[in-house]
Amino acid sequence: MALTQVSSNKCAGGFQKVFKHDSTELNCKMKFAIYLPPKAETDKCPVLYWLSGLTCTEQNFITKAGSQLAAAEHGIIIVAPDTSPRGCDIEGEDESWDFGTGAGFYVDATQDPWKTNYRMYSYVTEELPKLINANFSTYPDRMSISGHSMGGHGALICALKNPGKYKEYDATVLAASYFGPQLDILIDQGRDDQFLSASQLLPDNLIAVCSEKKIPVVFRLQPGYDHSYFFIYSFINDHIKHHAKYLNAMPHCTATQTSVQSDRPLGPDAQLQ
Amino acid sequence: MDLNDIRGGRLDVISEESEQQDFSRESSTMEAYTVVPEPAGRTFQRFSVNTNESLRFEPCEDSCPSPTGAEDGRDDVFEKGECEGEITSTRNQLLGKVAEMENFAGHLEEIFLTVEENFGRQEQHLEQHYNDVLQTLSQRYDDRETGLQEEKKGKLESLYNQLVACGQALDTSKELIETAQEVYRCQDKRLFLKTVMPVVKRVEEFAKEDVDLSLSTSLEFITPLADLSDVKTMMDSINIVPAPSAPVINPQLPNSATQTSLHVCWSLFSDDTVEYYELYYRPVLEDTPADGTCAPQESKVKVKETHCTVTELLPNAQYELWVTATNTTGISPASEKALYMTVPSPPVIKQRECSSCPEAALIRWESGNTNPVDSYTVELSETGTVGTENSITESIVAVPTCQCLIQLQAGRQYLISVRAVNIGGPSDRSDAITISTTGTFFYLLEDTAHPCLSMSEDGFTIFYGDEELPITAMAFEDNTFTRCVAILGDLIPVRGRHYWEVEVDDETEFRVGVAYEDTERDAYLGANGSSWCMRHIRTPSRHKYEFLHNGWSPDLRITVHPVRIGVALDYDRGTLSFFNANMEQHLHTFHCHFHNYVHPCFSLDNPGALTVHNGIQAPDYTFI
Repeated sequence: MALTQVSSNKCAGGFQKVFKHDSTELNCKMKFAIYLPPKAETDKCPVLYWLSGLTCTEQNFITKAGSQLAAAEHGIIIVAPDTSPRGCDIEGEDESWDFGTGAGFYVDATQDPWKTNYRMYSYVTEELPKLINANFSTYPDRMSISGHSMGGHGALICALKNPGKYKEYDATVLAASYFGPQLDILIDQGRDDQFLSASQLLPDNLIAVCSEKKIPVVFRLQPGYDHSYFFIYSFINDHIKHHAKYLNAMPHCTATQTSVQSDRPLGPDAQLQ
Repeated sequence: MDLNDIRGGRLDVISEESEQQDFSRESSTMEAYTVVPEPAGRTFQRFSVNTNESLRFEPCEDSCPSPTGAEDGRDDVFEKGECEGEITSTRNQLLGKVAEMENFAGHLEEIFLTVEENFGRQEQHLEQHYNDVLQTLSQRYDDRETGLQEEKKGKLESLYNQLVACGQALDTSKELIETAQEVYRCQDKRLFLKTVMPVVKRVEEFAKEDVDLSLSTSLEFITPLADLSDVKTMMDSINIVPAPSAPVINPQLPNSATQTSLHVCWSLFSDDTVEYYELYYRPVLEDTPADGTCAPQESKVKVKETHCTVTELLPNAQYELWVTATNTTGISPASEKALYMTVPSPPVIKQRECSSCPEAALIRWESGNTNPVDSYTVELSETGTVGTENSITESIVAVPTCQCLIQLQAGRQYLISVRAVNIGGPSDRSDAITISTTGTFFYLLEDTAHPCLSMSEDGFTIFYGDEELPITAMAFEDNTFTRCVAILGDLIPVRGRHYWEVEVDDETEFRVGVAYEDTERDAYLGANGSSWCMRHIRTPSRHKYEFLHNGWSPDLRITVHPVRIGVALDYDRGTLSFFNANMEQHLHTFHCHFHNYVHPCFSLDNPGALTVHNGIQAPDYTFI
């Protein structure tokens, strides 16, 4: 698959690049950001997939989260895709901020007119990894997934639905029925996050289920922090370190790793909501 | 070498003692000076030395075959190998004999030279002696002569005086007689009558006078008995050996003492003849009472050599020693007193007070001696991977106190022992302790434990019992925790990384972490700025976890309850991390700058138990 480089900036000793390609899952042109640490010049590196939240593109994370230094230190490639297909001209896709454009929710739509293009789950779990592994110097079996807000939820469901890949759609429901290799989930939640106070985020449910199912989770409530990139910036290092533990570990370890920043609305019907 | 030995016929025996002495002195005690040894030793039976003939060589018992083998009846020249063997062995024997002979000749030469020396010395000695005697005699003669001269002079003087007196008396009587004759011849009767009476009186008086005709002095000379007693003594002493002079006692040689014995050496100051020595010794006590009634007991040993090993002494004690030499004439004065010291008893390593980490070990011990010693020496050796013990690889000397922090290499096993050292030397090695530099290892500090805590025998499990102890039964010491049922661990004071694990069960309410050594004993762990801990609270409905410092904790939920907690301390980075060790899951990290060394701390908030596991190599994920 042909990749076109859109931009390249030297950052933290490595390179922050943006590429464009024709996506077969999404049937449109898609951009993604990729950070290549200094180690990538000489060696293969593991990959961390970062899923951004509602209204974001591939730019927000790479300009506001400050992840490059930690990625350079631990020798990890970070891939940050866009949050939905773009320019598909579907009616109603730009009507609301939390549905349609910029709101792919990392699931595959099952209904028209969305099902042709809105297949973010397959894009993130199938097409994108194949693309990355083919074009960059990576360890194909060492990848992990992380995200913020909608992306956090996306990371959880990707991991829970693919036991052993990183490690359902509704994270809580998926957690309830998860059978697979052990995960190690780190979740940070800003206490002053308006979505939390609006009960759109229901972390307790997830925790309860994970406790029962013995899925290892460390959930941290960070006082004073909100939902923004300032919050992401403050804790991204901890998360990259959390991933590095597994990505840089001995070859026999299957990297089943998710970390999430700020949980997503959880409920049985949370598919595209 | 001893002439006696040679006479005894075993030339190959050289006693140790004689090497220490001056050989000449030994020989001088001999009463006769025969030089010729008898070759009675079995090794020398083939040589005869006591004749003027050149050394004769008697053939060996087994005759050596001729090189070609032609003469001994063996025709087969293909048995060359066997012949060669015999030749070689015989040749070796011959070489051996030659060497012995040379040795013997050398010994003889030595003896000859030494005896010559002795002779010379004796000759000198005698000459000196007789010279002294002669000098004394001539001195006496001179004295005597002077005396006699004076006496003669005296006598002559008195005789002369007497002579003069006699002459005068003669003259007087002559004059008297002439006067009387004159008077007798006087015709003048009147004059005669006038002068006759005085003259008659004078004659009468003169007649009455006894003439002393004895000599004023005797004709004999006084000859006092000559006092030649000292000459006699001198003559006698030529034959008599003088009493020895005081020996010289040597200072203590290093490494010559043991815990209960001292090896003492001394030497003679001059060429004295000595029959035996007597060594006296007594302990030097720290406090000698003023009245001197309880003076330490003096002991005495009689020895023939110039050295002695005194046994049955106390360790780490000072002794005063002196020695006298005795021969037939008498006892020498005592030598100077020397101070010797026995070596101390070995120390005892305190197993439960030793700790280690990958780079170092801290060893503590008890002195093992009631009195102070000068210093300690720590010895360590690395045990091989197969468990075979290598020799000592390192020694640390001049350790002033009863503890030592030793730098080691990671991932090895060492045997460490200690010796106590004083001026007498080092003690025996203490029992060794095995130290493994895998991971960090420490024991718990029992004297910090809250009274309600009890410990297992191996010292790694603590229990908080169900029974309520009444307050009065609780013995609080200065160092114990009084509110929080806690205990500290004895972490080695070395910066770097340390890792240990704590085993609990699902229901245990605990606090585990680290604290400064001076953390408040009446406070709860984590409630102040001198302690950091992970806390587990169990309510009927759920588990709660806190990571406490200064009474504050982040808000955290943990879904899988850790039963084996890994604690990782990194002084350089200033981090304290907690892990679910079974899952390798990171739970929380404190970022804190430790301005002092910290100790692991453990507490039970409700009846239960926890076990500390250490000596574990830190897993990779703990120190990313």
